Amino acid sequence: MSLTIVRLYHDLLGTYGDQGNAEILMHRAKARNLDVQLVEVTPGMAVPRSGDIYLLGGGEDGPQSAALEMLKQDGGLQYAAAGGATVLAICAGFQIIGESLPDSSGNAVAGLGLVDAHTIYDASPRSVGELVIQPSRGGLPMLTGFENHQGLTRLGEDMPPLGLVQSGVGNGFSKQEGVWHGNIFGTYMHGPALARNPELADAVLQCAAGPMRPFNDPLADAFAKERRQTLTGN
Amino acid sequence: MFSKLRLATACKVGELSGRLSIKLGRGRGETLSGRVILALDPRAISKLSAGRDIVLVSGTNGKTTSTRNLASILRDFAGEGVSTSESGANMPAGIAALLAQLPRNRFAVVECDEMYLPDMYQKLAPKVIVLLNLSRDQLHRTGEVRKVSNLWHQAFTNDDVTFVVDRDDPFLEHAVSQAGHVIRVSFSGRRHPDAATCPNCAAILDWSTGDYACACGLGAKLPDVRSDKRLDGPQRNTVLVIEAARLMGAEILADEATDLINKAPDRIHSFSAGGKIIPTHLAKNPESWRQALGDVLADQVVLSVNARGIDGRDTSWLWDIDYAKLRGKRVICTGERRLDVAYRLSVQGIEVSVASSFAQAVEEFTSEPIQAIVSYTAYQDLLATELGITAGKSGAQ
Repeated sequence: MSLTIVRLYHDLLGTYGDQGNAEILMHRAKARNLDVQLVEVTPGMAVPRSGDIYLLGGGEDGPQSAALEMLKQDGGLQYAAAGGATVLAICAGFQIIGESLPDSSGNAVAGLGLVDAHTIYDASPRSVGELVIQPSRGGLPMLTGFENHQGLTRLGEDMPPLGLVQSGVGNGFSKQEGVWHGNIFGTYMHGPALARNPELADAVLQCAAGPMRPFNDPLADAFAKERRQTLTGN
Repeated sequence: MFSKLRLATACKVGELSGRLSIKLGRGRGETLSGRVILALDPRAISKLSAGRDIVLVSGTNGKTTSTRNLASILRDFAGEGVSTSESGANMPAGIAALLAQLPRNRFAVVECDEMYLPDMYQKLAPKVIVLLNLSRDQLHRTGEVRKVSNLWHQAFTNDDVTFVVDRDDPFLEHAVSQAGHVIRVSFSGRRHPDAATCPNCAAILDWSTGDYACACGLGAKLPDVRSDKRLDGPQRNTVLVIEAARLMGAEILADEATDLINKAPDRIHSFSAGGKIIPTHLAKNPESWRQALGDVLADQVVLSVNARGIDGRDTSWLWDIDYAKLRGKRVICTGERRLDVAYRLSVQGIEVSVASSFAQAVEEFTSEPIQAIVSYTAYQDLLATELGITAGKSGAQ
């Protein structure tokens, strides 16, 4: 089977290394003999409507606004998501896929509305540090990442978070972190998130490509385990 | 009178604490000595700067090397003693200690951390500030590259100092766009990996010519100095340093400048371990790693990564770097975050193994040449071992 991964504006949304998520998905898909290709979308290019997985990363405030504007005008991501495409959005990207978020001057602007989430600008100190969360679904183990964000994100009542915060800040409300709604994932975890959490990488892949056999990658597992053990002691 | 006495006491006690710290094997003593000085006289930095001709050097990469280089050029070409920071201690305590050092030369070249630069600019009242470059570094502390650029932009609004900047870096151009006196040096433009959008107005920057242009006017000011040769990072920093030295009165002829640029100091230091010599690059962010990787010629490479405070606590930036240069080489990863870098390389299809320490990694190679790229605290640890002192741990991972 063939799989198209679309990396959106990584020049704008790649400040915190999240572009690595694309490489990890490619790596793990190829290990399962999937015919996988990466489409790089840069400013000025149309967003493909037939991609299988769309990736958005974290970025600075100005570039985040620029990316949001281009995505709104293009409409390709919204079209694909409505058709069931898988989306993984990190940090600024997570804020972009919600209903509203602050612009660089702190005024609320409409997001893409793929998930019911409202990000507000919060005057408290920036949330920076290691983040550990416990997902409640998908057989996922404890996940770890590094968060670095100013805004806090409130999910709508029916929106399931990706997990509950064990340590760190996450969304900043009700111990929730990220979102996992249908095939749409959002999280504040950098690392990149899929490098530190191979099980999450496979969960994202399976949303797009269906069940797949396990992939034995000792270095990936050792890395994930080392982070988990260092941060939680088990 | 009292004010002078207070300063003198602060400096004396500071010096003694610094010496004690060295005797106890706790490091080189500047930071402790400076902390004591500032505790006893919070205005020590301003007082110690009065009447002196000071240059501040700041930027993401090459601060320590450029500071040392500028001090040495000033000594050679201006024929005067120069007080300078030798060790890279670039926060207020380190700066206080350097200024307190005897003899207190008229000339002082002072390395300054990016976040402290606005405050140190106020306190030291420098003649010249050299801004080398700005790129992603220690994002857990600075938040964003743009934040540093904006912080500087807001601080530099007067005409009491002359800036020397690489105007090809849009973050620096924005930082000095309100400043009174700026020597803009251009190296004929080059794409900045972190500047897809304008630091001033956030519009998408047009890089189609290999240089940036923006409708808001950023980048429109003409350079004062233009260099057409292709130069690497340390060479570009040397060009800026030469301009700063000229502003301080050093007479440097064109062919002398060319010589200085050709032998621009790099960040390689050779450590010995297990009877082998290992030329080692200090690299601490994507830009300095790219430069270090460009210099790797050996087929056996040690990479050491920590994530203590000054290294950047988030290792995600390891994914911003293309490691293709290491393909086909034997690579061993070490340091507290060896798995972060090893996994990243493996995803790029580069074969790696891991070792529990630098010495262990070197031991696995049976021959030379071996080259190493190590993060900031890993480098400090190696230096400390070489000097026989206990390394100060700069914060837990």
